[in-house]
Amino acid sequence: MQKLFALLYKDVLLLIRDRAGIALLFLMPLVLVFIMTSIQDNTFKSINESGISLLILDNDNDSLGLTIERELEKSNIFTISKEINHIKPTEATLKDAVASGIYQIGIIIPAEVTKKLKKNSKRNISRAFSGLPADTTNRIDTSQISVYIDPITKNSFKTTIFSTLREFTSKIENEIIIAEITKEINQRLPFNKVCLSSKNSITFKEEYALKENSRIIPNSVQHNVPAWTMFAMFFIVISLAGNMIKEREEGSVNSLLTMPCSYSTFITSKILIYILVCLLQLLLMLLMGVYFFPTLGLPALKIGVNFFAIFIIALSSSLAAIGYGVLIGTLSTTHQQAATFGSISVMILAAIGGVWVPVFAMPPFMRSISIISPLNWGLNGFYEVFIREGNTFSVLFDSFKLILFFTLCLLTSLLYKRLIRK
Amino acid sequence: MNDQNIITISCLTKFYKGSDKPAVDDISLNIKQGEVFGLLGPNGAGKSTIINILCGLLTPTNGQVTIHNLILGKNNYKIKELIGVVPQDIALYPSLTAMENLIILGKIYGLKGKDLSNRIYELLTMFGLEKSKDRRISYFSGGMKRRMNLIAGIIHNPKILFLDEPTVGIDVQSKKVILDNLREINKLGTTIIYTSHLMEEVQKICTRIAFIDEGKIIAEGIPSELIKSDPAFFNLEDVYLKLTGKKLRD
Repeated sequence: MQKLFALLYKDVLLLIRDRAGIALLFLMPLVLVFIMTSIQDNTFKSINESGISLLILDNDNDSLGLTIERELEKSNIFTISKEINHIKPTEATLKDAVASGIYQIGIIIPAEVTKKLKKNSKRNISRAFSGLPADTTNRIDTSQISVYIDPITKNSFKTTIFSTLREFTSKIENEIIIAEITKEINQRLPFNKVCLSSKNSITFKEEYALKENSRIIPNSVQHNVPAWTMFAMFFIVISLAGNMIKEREEGSVNSLLTMPCSYSTFITSKILIYILVCLLQLLLMLLMGVYFFPTLGLPALKIGVNFFAIFIIALSSSLAAIGYGVLIGTLSTTHQQAATFGSISVMILAAIGGVWVPVFAMPPFMRSISIISPLNWGLNGFYEVFIREGNTFSVLFDSFKLILFFTLCLLTSLLYKRLIRK
Repeated sequence: MNDQNIITISCLTKFYKGSDKPAVDDISLNIKQGEVFGLLGPNGAGKSTIINILCGLLTPTNGQVTIHNLILGKNNYKIKELIGVVPQDIALYPSLTAMENLIILGKIYGLKGKDLSNRIYELLTMFGLEKSKDRRISYFSGGMKRRMNLIAGIIHNPKILFLDEPTVGIDVQSKKVILDNLREINKLGTTIIYTSHLMEEVQKICTRIAFIDEGKIIAEGIPSELIKSDPAFFNLEDVYLKLTGKKLRD
């Protein structure tokens, strides 16, 4: 045990004296999770919250124009402007502003569109109440709302704006028609005036399918913190493998092996130190998600209540990452080889495992191969606790796979080490 | 087995993987307790392979080695407690101080508490490094590093000490301190197995030597007797060149 403590003391000193290594292990993941969460949260906002810049030229200045403006504002999808540099735009300047990318969308509501709409509705309703067929001749005044779209705007945004406009114009058209019908009916009834309503009788309720009593809402933070924690844990491969190769190149490993100290004791010390590093990484990431993100206007990370399950999945993820690091450190002959192979392979495993893009958003083929990535197993485990509020039992299968991966990596390393001694 | 033999090597052969030429070819050798035994030979002769096998870093293809009555391969752990190794490269942690390096190594050898700190101070004073105990190895001069490398190999007072060119690339003062202290260590009962290319140094310190070339022992004996064996020899270098030839080795 004294030997193991001596090696632990050595590994702690080596770790804390390597400032670049410390930055790579602790600072880099924090920066990464912050940047990725902010970016993904903004992308999320650009679709669902204030984000798309929209310039509106309302030449109508009546019900339709005002309703479109009001409803677009209420939708919280758009940041609405009615002026360019405090000047009301013209059709030409609006088109230019969108073409040059200052605004993503420009809408021109033509003059007297409400008036024409009312006129058409009145004519059609009067004809209907008089028993005449609807007027389909070209006496109907049609109006055209022009929508200009920045060419780089995503298709999903275009669909959003057109559905929004269609919805609001139909809504106002319906309101005008209902108002006209009410007016016609009331003119014909001597008493008991009616008041028809255009209020929707069908409403929608949006809710996430969460387990009973769960108050956790999935968002970019709930995905990014565990995802990038897994990435950071596996990124210790570079530090760990580099550390092992450095000790080998300096001759200190061989020197240790001439002492009454086995290679497995040497590796055990590394494993214990790096478990501590991984758990510290996780703790920092969780603290950042829970306390720091809300101060920046990002959603707070909800970690559920099952801390033991978090510990189990964190420990098994750490072991898997360490096992992979030991394997790369044993098989690689140079630091450069370990750094290049380590970082690229972790990037690939992260991409496959759903760190960059969640697995559900991947094409079917990629979804089927995502299960081979240990990062996916760890991420699933964290999702289980953070999003689905699972218990210790629900993370056991993923933990088992991670520990099996660690064992295989370690056995391969020890076997290889024994082979090269011969 | 002779009681005086601390190391007995019998028919030792080592083939490296993928090579059909042995790095060590059927070597048999006895090293007596208290000797300073020199292993000499050109580059690639097989000296380091022999040392690495004796230290337990390599497994021999054939043959048997007994160290202090313990069979290598069966009692490696006990053997490692008896031996000290000073490699040619500085096998210390550069980012750690002299004290930290020695505490770690001492503890691995089972030393602790007052025994460990007394031993560290004794050795640092012996090699003139007591004032630099809290400096990182990376800030040491070449001579200081060599001295520290030697201290690391003898911290546990080994019965057998393997030295692989311990004075390479250092100044005369550091070399003198190392050689003087090695003599002292030897007087206290440590058997030393020494490899070097510096014939003058070998002549000064070794009580017996073996010349190795192409994995075989080509001559063995006391340095002064080997020099006397031919009137054309004036020193050990003449013996060395006569035995190994003047052809360059890679």
